[in-house]
Amino acid sequence: MSGTEGPTGPENAGGKMNESPPPLQLSNVTKRYEGGGGTVTALKDVSFAVTRGDVTAIVGPSGSGKSTMLNMLGLLDDPTTGGIELSGEPVAGLSEHERTDIRRERIGFVFQDFHLIPTLSAARNVRLPTTFLERDYTDRAIDLLRRVGLGDRLEHTPDELSGGQKQRVAIARSLINEPDVLLADEPTGNLDRDTGVSVLEEIRTIADGGVGVVAVTHDELVTEFADRTVELTDGVLRD
Amino acid sequence: MTDAGTAAPKEDGWAWLDRQFPALSLAVRNLSRQRLRAGLATLGIVIGVFAVVALGMLGTALQGAALEELGGLGNQVIISPAGGGESLSDRDLQAIQRAAAGHGEVVPLKSGGATASGPGGQTFTQLYGTTRPQSLFGDPSAPAYHRQGAVVGADAAQSLGVRVGSTIDVEENQYRVVAIIEGSGSFSPIRPDSAVVLPPREFVADGYSQAVVQADSGDDARQVAAGVRERLNGRQQRVSVLSLTSVLSRITEFFALLNGFLLAVAGVSLIVAGVSIFNIMLMTVSERRGEIGVLRAVGIHREQVLRTLLAEATLLGVAGGAIGSVLGAAVVIGVALTTRLPLSAVFVPTNALVALGAFGFGILVALVGGLYPAYRAAWEPPVESLRG
Repeated sequence: MSGTEGPTGPENAGGKMNESPPPLQLSNVTKRYEGGGGTVTALKDVSFAVTRGDVTAIVGPSGSGKSTMLNMLGLLDDPTTGGIELSGEPVAGLSEHERTDIRRERIGFVFQDFHLIPTLSAARNVRLPTTFLERDYTDRAIDLLRRVGLGDRLEHTPDELSGGQKQRVAIARSLINEPDVLLADEPTGNLDRDTGVSVLEEIRTIADGGVGVVAVTHDELVTEFADRTVELTDGVLRD
Repeated sequence: MTDAGTAAPKEDGWAWLDRQFPALSLAVRNLSRQRLRAGLATLGIVIGVFAVVALGMLGTALQGAALEELGGLGNQVIISPAGGGESLSDRDLQAIQRAAAGHGEVVPLKSGGATASGPGGQTFTQLYGTTRPQSLFGDPSAPAYHRQGAVVGADAAQSLGVRVGSTIDVEENQYRVVAIIEGSGSFSPIRPDSAVVLPPREFVADGYSQAVVQADSGDDARQVAAGVRERLNGRQQRVSVLSLTSVLSRITEFFALLNGFLLAVAGVSLIVAGVSIFNIMLMTVSERRGEIGVLRAVGIHREQVLRTLLAEATLLGVAGGAIGSVLGAAVVIGVALTTRLPLSAVFVPTNALVALGAFGFGILVALVGGLYPAYRAAWEPPVESLRG
């Protein structure tokens, strides 16, 4: 941490330090929801760091707080107490606009039910996050689709693709911005085993490229592919 | 991997639109998803804009046509002796001349009624005595100067069965018909249609019974009327002055009121269309909640989502407004072609303004209708929208 002192220090992308801070980190995060039936504590004092190059599986029963934790990591939700740090920089206090920029620039999302836009082609879906940017990402989108084995499906719309193909389009979309972190919510949830394996192999390759992958899952298969598996039970995280 | 054989997506209209106006491109695609729904929402705007354009343009055209007919009326001042007096004195006429100087032309007039007979029959006619029929009737086809014989109005000529060169009998005297004048169609108390115009000296009475001032404009007419009143009626009511300028402005006011009322009724239908856009956008964003959540999660800003959704609503307004304006204008032109309403009354700058205004209002209504649903969807936290 000592290397990146200074409140507005530039990103440490250039300086390859031995101990660069984790791309994304939760420190003592607690999240409470005020509900009709009283207060629900979804996360209790959770500390967690994403490691570059690793696939981390978060497992746990339904309602254990997995989704809440993923939302925290994705800057989609605020902790009640505790902090989120992005490459060592606290996120608290950033505006919604700044968080949106960070999500676009540094975090990739893969959702359980793919969430592709049905009217757009595969290539157009992949560059969806960059829609409003000046630079044209079409070539990169095509390149990514070829990497996930869909070079011949560029102009197909989602309803012309199988479940595994859709999830691979979604993965390609999550990589369009060359993220530091890939967050996957049940990436194999809607896929059969063989397709799941091929998708996980894809994710493995991405991690090997230096991206920190976090997958929330029920699926044993994911844990087999993971470098690390942590368990979340009633909002408490255990290795 | 960089296999040149795999075709890159071709650069077509979509790609261009996508690059230049991403929000618009997304909006068009989204609308194409629910064509029937988009069509119905557009239909609402079409009907509203059509109503505004049709009623607005028709109102303007009717007003224009009516004012054209009544136009001469507003420029005329008719002065007659007050209190049952027989005729205007020379002094009165001079005063009128002075009041009208620079504002219009004074035509002294003798008038009466008499039975006239011609080869085709006899009829009761209005007799006018003037040397200047053209100025009197404001009709360029009438003789400018009239010294002998009779000028006969078209209706009277028909009843009497005369042509130019025929002879008519008026009060035991015979006159050769020197001209027949068509009614100009302008609306005035002094009309040539069933009149016989004779030179003033043919009348028994010496004095002129009326003076007609053809002013250059409505404003001039007002000034002449005021001037005559001031000069002649200062101490004593010597003459009565009839100026229809104020009647004309009442008529104009009435038309304005009528047009306003019609436009308000049409406007209500446009508001209803706005409500239907509101409803449809609300449906659309609730169906696409998850999708909007994804957009937000992957780094599309709230304002960008809002812009996309507003582009959808606006497109409905643009399409509906354009179709409605064209249909409305077409119907009004059709009405003008099939009725006596002159096309020239339709093609006036005001009507272009009506069509453009209705088009713009249609877009505005759609935009306002889409505003709240779009705002609600774009500002919902993505965590909520993703939960579905």
